[in-house]
Amino acid sequence: MSSQIPAHAQERLKGLRSSAHSSGVFTSDFSVNEFLLVRKAGFEPIGLCVGTCVYHVGIQYGSWKKNEELQVLSKAMYHARELAMTRMRAEATAMNADGIVGVKLTIKRLEWDENLLEFIAIGTGVVHGDGHKGFRAHDGGPFTSDLSGQDFWSLLHSGYRPVEMVMGSCVYHVAHRGVFASIGQTMRNVELENFTSAMYEAREIAIERMQHEAAAAKAEGVVGVDMHEGNHGWQTHVIEFFAIGTAVLPMDQEIAPEKIADPIMVLSVND
Amino acid sequence: MAFLDWLTQGDDAQAQAAKLASAQRQAGILEAVQSGRVSPGVRKRLEGARSGALPWLATLTPAELLLTRSHGIRPIASVSATCWLHYGWSWTEGHAQGWETALRRLRAEAKVAGANAILDVKMRTIALDVENSMDFTLTGTAVKVEGLPPSSDPIVATVPALEFIKLVEADVVPTGIAIGAHYEWMTDWRNSTNLAWMGNIECRALSRLWETVRQRAHFQLRQSAASQGNGVLAHVNFSQMFERGEGNETKQYLARHIVVATTVDARRGVPIPHGIRMVVDMHAGKTPLTGTTRHHQSYVSNDAEGAI
Repeated sequence: MSSQIPAHAQERLKGLRSSAHSSGVFTSDFSVNEFLLVRKAGFEPIGLCVGTCVYHVGIQYGSWKKNEELQVLSKAMYHARELAMTRMRAEATAMNADGIVGVKLTIKRLEWDENLLEFIAIGTGVVHGDGHKGFRAHDGGPFTSDLSGQDFWSLLHSGYRPVEMVMGSCVYHVAHRGVFASIGQTMRNVELENFTSAMYEAREIAIERMQHEAAAAKAEGVVGVDMHEGNHGWQTHVIEFFAIGTAVLPMDQEIAPEKIADPIMVLSVND
Repeated sequence: MAFLDWLTQGDDAQAQAAKLASAQRQAGILEAVQSGRVSPGVRKRLEGARSGALPWLATLTPAELLLTRSHGIRPIASVSATCWLHYGWSWTEGHAQGWETALRRLRAEAKVAGANAILDVKMRTIALDVENSMDFTLTGTAVKVEGLPPSSDPIVATVPALEFIKLVEADVVPTGIAIGAHYEWMTDWRNSTNLAWMGNIECRALSRLWETVRQRAHFQLRQSAASQGNGVLAHVNFSQMFERGEGNETKQYLARHIVVATTVDARRGVPIPHGIRMVVDMHAGKTPLTGTTRHHQSYVSNDAEGAI
């Protein structure tokens, strides 16, 4: 019968409200599964942390025939994200969180001004249930991570903990092809080698920068690396390569690989 | 003369009776809306389902029915509520008012049905563009927990039955919906948002406007949640910013932010009583092992996963 329902929950279902909660109200954008898994991992959400930044991006044109990084734009994308992330982390520090899980970073162009970009970082601040401070980042502040609640549980059970959400950005101008080169190549399949090399260089710069951030955070590695390519309303031939991931460290007591439970293999037949 | 049939339709006794019944029903609904009660027609249906004289109705899937039965939860009836609100005062704050009115009506129906909880509550808005107004509709399934008396204050769970059971087993009760809504106008007297030729620089005036509006909306959210539980989950975040003013006019900015979330009453430090085992699904495509449907369509937002 209703025996599987804990007593406190039963009271509430009868219509009795618990007396005032001493701990205040926590807020989080977790789904039900994320919430349950974060708690299962020994953490409690305490509050949603938000950082916003509206940024005016300077103007820079790449020279027509050259592959090159557009440093003004790269710096703008870096600086604005940094401001949004720092504000989010400051909110987490103010509520004494041990970390932020599920950070989402979004960029939106404001419709009335093509040079204004809005950056928003949102994540849920969490504390360790037993007050264990060993999960904090290397500077003693809250860790940050773009991992979902599900990923967070899995990461801890693989013997690692998140340290810092790291990123690398490179805004790059891809050279236009000369008219003569185009004429000479009609009716042939040729590799556009300068385009290929532009993509290579821009991607490498972004990845290197992310790796550098991970090294600065004294991390062992980066999980969940994702590469985005985007054009935030710049002229054609301009792309941003953006690498993002969560830098991780092994836990104080490293879990021996043979202790990690084997997952069950299933084939779900409903669809 | 089929074309003019509708003119003469009112003549036979059956049609007259149907017209009268409809008029009575509408009068009943109107009277109920004005006095904050459940209309007689709905009351009859809910009381019938409560006593077992009428069949139960549930939005649950067969799999969810299995789970609810094994946990002593019994469906009673579908309940719903609507409030169609005209924004005379403020669009942003109208959202809080609209949902709160609909919630009150939904709870009243559940009480008539003798329920402990309303599961699978969905927030709906009809895309009917009637000027300066919007409908706030809630639908759900009223359920009873075996062995418990009917609640004087049924909880509103915006999660499907499966999620509800997972939560309750971990001593977390989803209790209702909390809303935070705030808007603010900023007049840019000093032209500080004009940053043309300034290079890379933060637009502090607009950043500050955003931060203020968001923080106020979230503060309201916490206040709205405090009477219902000790936390909120799964936000819908909806925000917009507009500029007003042409050419050299002084610019004005409107920023608005609406947050809607599920409130929970959670006993801290009680994990789910089941071990969690990793599963690798060999299914191609999206795995059906997860998957709950979206529980609102009233706001465009970036949530990809299930219940609100």
